[in-house]
Amino acid sequence: MTTTAPPTSPRPTRRARVLPPPIAGQELVLVAVIALMWVVLALTTPAFASAGSIQPLLVATAPIALAGIGMTIVIITGGIDVSVGGMMMVCAVVTAKALVAFELALPLALGLSVAVGGLLGLVNGLLIAYGRVHAIIITFGTMNVFLFVGLQIFASRTVNGIPSTLQFFGRGVAGRTLGVPHAFVLTLLIAAIAWWYLRHTAGGRHFYAIGGDAQAARLAGIDVRGRILAAYVVTGLLVGLASCFLIAQGTSSLDQSVGNGKELAVIAAVVIGGTSIMGGRGSVLGTVLGALLVQTVTSGVTQLGWPSQLSDLFVGIFIIVAVGADLLRERARRRRLRAKGAAA
Amino acid sequence: MSTSTQAPTPAGPDPAPRPAAAERGDSIGARALRAVLTQRITLLAVLIVVVVLSYVALDAGGYLTAPYDPDYLSASLINAVPLAMLALAELLVILSGRGGIDLSVGAIVALSGMVFGFMYGQWGWPLWLAVVATAGFGALCGALNGFLVAYIGFPALIATLATFYAFKSLAIVVNQQSPISTPPIQELYSLTRSVEIPVIGGQIPDVPLGIFTFLLPTVLIVWLLLARTTYGRRLYAVGTNDVASLWAGQPVRATRFGAYALAGLISGLVAVVTVAQFASARPDAGVSGNGMALPAITIAVLGGVAITGGIGRVAGVVLATLLIVWLNAGILLAFVGNEGSQYQLLALGVVLVAAALLNGFAGRRYGVAD
Repeated sequence: MTTTAPPTSPRPTRRARVLPPPIAGQELVLVAVIALMWVVLALTTPAFASAGSIQPLLVATAPIALAGIGMTIVIITGGIDVSVGGMMMVCAVVTAKALVAFELALPLALGLSVAVGGLLGLVNGLLIAYGRVHAIIITFGTMNVFLFVGLQIFASRTVNGIPSTLQFFGRGVAGRTLGVPHAFVLTLLIAAIAWWYLRHTAGGRHFYAIGGDAQAARLAGIDVRGRILAAYVVTGLLVGLASCFLIAQGTSSLDQSVGNGKELAVIAAVVIGGTSIMGGRGSVLGTVLGALLVQTVTSGVTQLGWPSQLSDLFVGIFIIVAVGADLLRERARRRRLRAKGAAA
Repeated sequence: MSTSTQAPTPAGPDPAPRPAAAERGDSIGARALRAVLTQRITLLAVLIVVVVLSYVALDAGGYLTAPYDPDYLSASLINAVPLAMLALAELLVILSGRGGIDLSVGAIVALSGMVFGFMYGQWGWPLWLAVVATAGFGALCGALNGFLVAYIGFPALIATLATFYAFKSLAIVVNQQSPISTPPIQELYSLTRSVEIPVIGGQIPDVPLGIFTFLLPTVLIVWLLLARTTYGRRLYAVGTNDVASLWAGQPVRATRFGAYALAGLISGLVAVVTVAQFASARPDAGVSGNGMALPAITIAVLGGVAITGGIGRVAGVVLATLLIVWLNAGILLAFVGNEGSQYQLLALGVVLVAAALLNGFAGRRYGVAD
């Protein structure tokens, strides 16, 4: 990466090079697409523009976006975590059973779920960082193990009579202040912190460095294993919180399908948000927008009266379009660089 | 990141003397250990024997709910048919390298199954034509993956994640969420019956028909393709290093494209098998629950296919399938109710993680990355 920059004004040019613009092209496009979809949906289905339709949409976006923040960090390091669905199941069932059995207070329930998630993330992180095996293999394995643990705790019965402790993050009136769902606000807050951390601290940049080239990062003195471990633990913690949102959104009972297929939904949100699956590039902001886009599609398809399964088709198409656009941009960028290199 | 230094002097900060000693390997015990740890085929064969023997011991002790005998082992092979075929599909795709993986095989199974249901169950096409057309349809779905990955340059994980969603959705919508189970489809269930093998059939248990009609031909053709044709050698070359293959004049894109299309074709055949097994073309076959793709990838990896591409053998995949199928068959007898299916998840997960870690360990211990 040695660029032959003119030595006249090194500081400003270097700063401009190191950090990408705060909002990348992909995110602007996503904002435009979401806005367009909202306008079209508002015009075609009168019910969409009402608060009663937007609020559940934001609430439903929160868990995917939240888990997506962790997944973004993991994918930036060049890894992936397909065990998110299994983790959600374990966190949700443990928390739900504890709520039923001990009638925990809200902070305790949150703490329990986050702790369980962190523990599961630690298992992933240790195996991946110290086992030197590709993340996708390890998390395929742990996914099965987590599903086993979750189903064992379920013991073939749905958890019934969950107290309404978590209503603060639910769909109901208790879950909103001034009409804004708490779950979504908390997600935005965490996303903002993660965005700032990833972009403006040395620790955050290390994740990008590892994803760019782990060997080079190690030689540059970065604690690669520690950082990778941290990425998976953070994912676990956030999945724990997201599981509380899932419980809150549901009815007073929880069945074995919780978390089912969520890993793919989360990965879809991340890649639609412009994070490169190859690692080294990506932003949390895009992930939140990606989750919002996916949820808008799901909600829109239902409100248009189309079969709800059709939304998956659109999610697939959006993944292709979003990543395809990114590929083309990247190719153009490389061509420009090469042209510049040839000219110099 | 695994070091694949074949030489007895490992390059690295701490030159361990042990690899050199293992290279000479005078004692039989050390040599056997080395073979088990570094050769996936040997390890799997040993594990299969261990698994079967321990179940037989458990059975003799009266811990199982039904006899774990050759008849049961043979009958449980019917579960190996879809599993092994999809794992072979994953073998082709993962071999092609550059992060090759196919998450969409389960969705292709579901969609092709519905197409098969229409052709055979509703339009009354002859069976052979319907099967060929279904395989062709599956190949078309796979070709879409291949086009996106090989020609446009999508990362495989993303392209097949997208098509997973698309195919899954289409499969459900195409017949308004309802399965097709007309009489001709229901009669297909006879495909899953067990038959007596001629001549030697008296001595050994009956074997499910699907093994002969679908699994063995697939195994044979994939093996011939990989081990005995130019295309196979090309696929290994492309998977090992696509830049080098390109400079060696190989058609990298077409080769990679072919792997995905073939995976789709095999998935189309699996669709016919699943329709026969359920006696109904179900829109959620292959995607319900954990889906079919994840177990197939797991089996492939367990069979020694390197996720980085270019390494993997048919024999490993077949043995890994046998291991998992017989392990699962025993678990069903050892636990009552759906406890068994839960312990199957645990077994699959633990075996996969252990095998992967063992791979890494053996690579460092002997300086050989399997």
